Amino acid sequence: MADGGPAPAPPRPRAVLEPGRLRPPVRPASLAVGALPVAGVVLTGVAFWWIGVSVPSLLAGLGDTLALLRRMLPPDLPPAPGLLSAVVETLLIAVAGTGIATLVSLPLAFAASRSHGSARLVRGVARLVIVLTRVVPTLVFAILFVRVFGLGPLAGGLAVAVHSVGMIAKLATDVIDEADPLPAEAVRACGARRWHVAVSTVVPRVLPSLVSIVLYRLDINIRASAVLGLVGAGGIGVALQTALGGLDYDRAAGIIGVIIALILVLEVLSVATRKRVGAAVPDRTTKGHVLPVSAGARHDVGWDRGRILRFAAVAATVVLFVVSVWSLEPAPQRLLDAWPNLRQLLTGMWPPAFSSDIVLGVLESLLMAIAAAVVGSAGGLVLALLTARGIAPWRPLATAARALVVVLRGVPDLVYALLFVAALGLGPFAGLLALWISCTALAAKFFTDSLEELDAVPRQALESVGATRPQVFLGATWPQFVPAFTGNGLFVVDLALRESIVLGIVGAGGIGYLMQESVATLSYDVTSAIVIVIAVVVYGIETIAQAARRQLLGR
Amino acid sequence: MRGRRSAIPTAAEEPGRYAVEMRGVHKAFGAVTVLDDVDLAVRRGEFVGLVGPSGAGKSTLLRLVNGMHTVERGSVRTLGTDPATCSRRGLRALRTKVGFAFQQFGLVGRLSAMENVLMGALATLRWPRYGVMSYPRALRVAALENLDRVGMADQRFQRCDTLSGGQQQRVAVARTLMQGPQLILADEPVASLDPASSALVLDILRRISREDDISVLCSLHQVELALANADRIVALRAGRVVLDEAADTLTADRLRTVYGTGDGTDG
Repeated sequence: MADGGPAPAPPRPRAVLEPGRLRPPVRPASLAVGALPVAGVVLTGVAFWWIGVSVPSLLAGLGDTLALLRRMLPPDLPPAPGLLSAVVETLLIAVAGTGIATLVSLPLAFAASRSHGSARLVRGVARLVIVLTRVVPTLVFAILFVRVFGLGPLAGGLAVAVHSVGMIAKLATDVIDEADPLPAEAVRACGARRWHVAVSTVVPRVLPSLVSIVLYRLDINIRASAVLGLVGAGGIGVALQTALGGLDYDRAAGIIGVIIALILVLEVLSVATRKRVGAAVPDRTTKGHVLPVSAGARHDVGWDRGRILRFAAVAATVVLFVVSVWSLEPAPQRLLDAWPNLRQLLTGMWPPAFSSDIVLGVLESLLMAIAAAVVGSAGGLVLALLTARGIAPWRPLATAARALVVVLRGVPDLVYALLFVAALGLGPFAGLLALWISCTALAAKFFTDSLEELDAVPRQALESVGATRPQVFLGATWPQFVPAFTGNGLFVVDLALRESIVLGIVGAGGIGYLMQESVATLSYDVTSAIVIVIAVVVYGIETIAQAARRQLLGR
Repeated sequence: MRGRRSAIPTAAEEPGRYAVEMRGVHKAFGAVTVLDDVDLAVRRGEFVGLVGPSGAGKSTLLRLVNGMHTVERGSVRTLGTDPATCSRRGLRALRTKVGFAFQQFGLVGRLSAMENVLMGALATLRWPRYGVMSYPRALRVAALENLDRVGMADQRFQRCDTLSGGQQQRVAVARTLMQGPQLILADEPVASLDPASSALVLDILRRISREDDISVLCSLHQVELALANADRIVALRAGRVVLDEAADTLTADRLRTVYGTGDGTDG
């Protein structure tokens, strides 16, 4: 302990200090991290120049968008039965996709985990599958699967499932690797087989985390399945595509309203569910320990209320999952018919046909993503400072800002893109604006959460010193917030990049347009080249983001 | 209780003699009464140890003194001012004269010891500051001197989250010194430290109190530490003052029997 040494000397006369001792040393690591925002701003400038963003163009865009919004009023709802079945189909696609993904992810996660002794080759393959499925967006899978399985929810459900495997399996692998290894060792010491160990020690430990991961993914998937219909993969997006294609903007506004309402309702439900799941964990452990002891020789805990409810919840989930898979109409004949298509797709993909168009398209997507993330993070920071508890200056303003963020987040990016394309015409300008809005909302949510998690004591300490509000912010809040700001900012870039890839599907610039065209013209060698370039770029950005985060959090 | 109350002269009789004066203070959070009819006076330059089990109301009492909480009944005078009646600006002015040391130190872990100490002088500056070099040179010299007083000058450019708990609390004490305080409030300053660091931190506080004639009101869990460092001991139990005596006439055993063992279940 550094404090064990001798007590400090009695007060000395004022030391004579040379100026050098008052200047802090310069750290190269902090300079490198400081370069990140500078790079972001420079790239944003490049992107604005490339896309042609300027104050006059923004003002003109605003006018055109307002004109479109005026044409969308009053919103018009489609007939109730059709609307209801579209909503139900959307939900079922998400449930089926998430369920299938979970079933596939569990064994995959065990195969990929370091702590369960799978062979190196198995682990490598499992990790490759996880990375590939994660970096290719749902909508890209949807385009390919529509080719293979035909129009309809089957393609959508499978696209959701395949992309979700990447995230669920990755998070589950982390949870498994982080679980305490001692219980597994103890069971292994009793002579249990490897899968015994997995089932009886690891599954119970990771179950609560897994449930919240799956619920979180379900939340994402419902948002995703609302727009799958734009490429013909089922759900409410089909109706939206039809309305916009027929220039029926009143109808489109009505459907967008329904999508927003649906997502807001689900947001409330998922927050409530996650709270319950989180709260149920300690309850369960107490019961497991206490009941058998007090019941003496009994080896069964019996059917108390909690157990009945849990059993009912599991049964309902299983039934819902079966119904959702059934609703995708996976008839055996249909799957057999898809086989030749799949073979054609896979054989057509080799060898990949790289071209400069692909590189330019990906570059455009990347620039759009970075510019939108940088500008969106700046706007998101302002919103977060107005919203976060303990920091927000005025409560009514905080409530209003919070509501604005929730509504902005409720609209899928692709819907923004569709609207801007309709208002401003095809091209990356529309895509950039769409991403800008969604990045602002996303960044605002991330930043608000991390601002509210900051340690309040340094803030109180500065208040007790008599510092003014701006001084407290810059002295105590901001330095604590910098790692979260950079980390979340990079995460926003990461997400924006994935989104910018698919925006082209509706004509909003970037690589997505080329992608859809290649599938439509059966040029699968171009498709595979695009997928490879996308995978490399997304993986590269992810790696940079991770390294920066480590650098910031490490000492 | 009654006898003691009449022993405290009012401020009008002897102005400026007390750094803290509380009379009949009552404070509740919702239905939970935290402080009940508390009288307390801290003389200028006096080191008062505030002891009591967890939940006895020690932290609340300290926060009433610098205006982080306000009383429901009774009166509080801190350096002759009632924090409850201050405007926001007035409260800031009062707080510049009152240092506060927290159990969790209240340092920004990512910043250097020097920058954390400099923040103690923020109230003398008009604009927000970021980075050591944004502070005037005179303040940087003063910060170094204060770090030297707590024996931390050599670690001045080390990140605070790489310092030990005892070192962090010493940095926090140096930050309060930057205020040039007349009163230091310390809320369990050594509760999360090992015995050697605890003794060192309290020794520094006591020395500062003597040398600069600063009043210290310090809440403590450990009876021995309180007796070894304080001039006077005030014991709280379930929100009431149950003992108020000079430290040199008290024994640890007697103090323990008066306020009960610090088992944390009380109050």
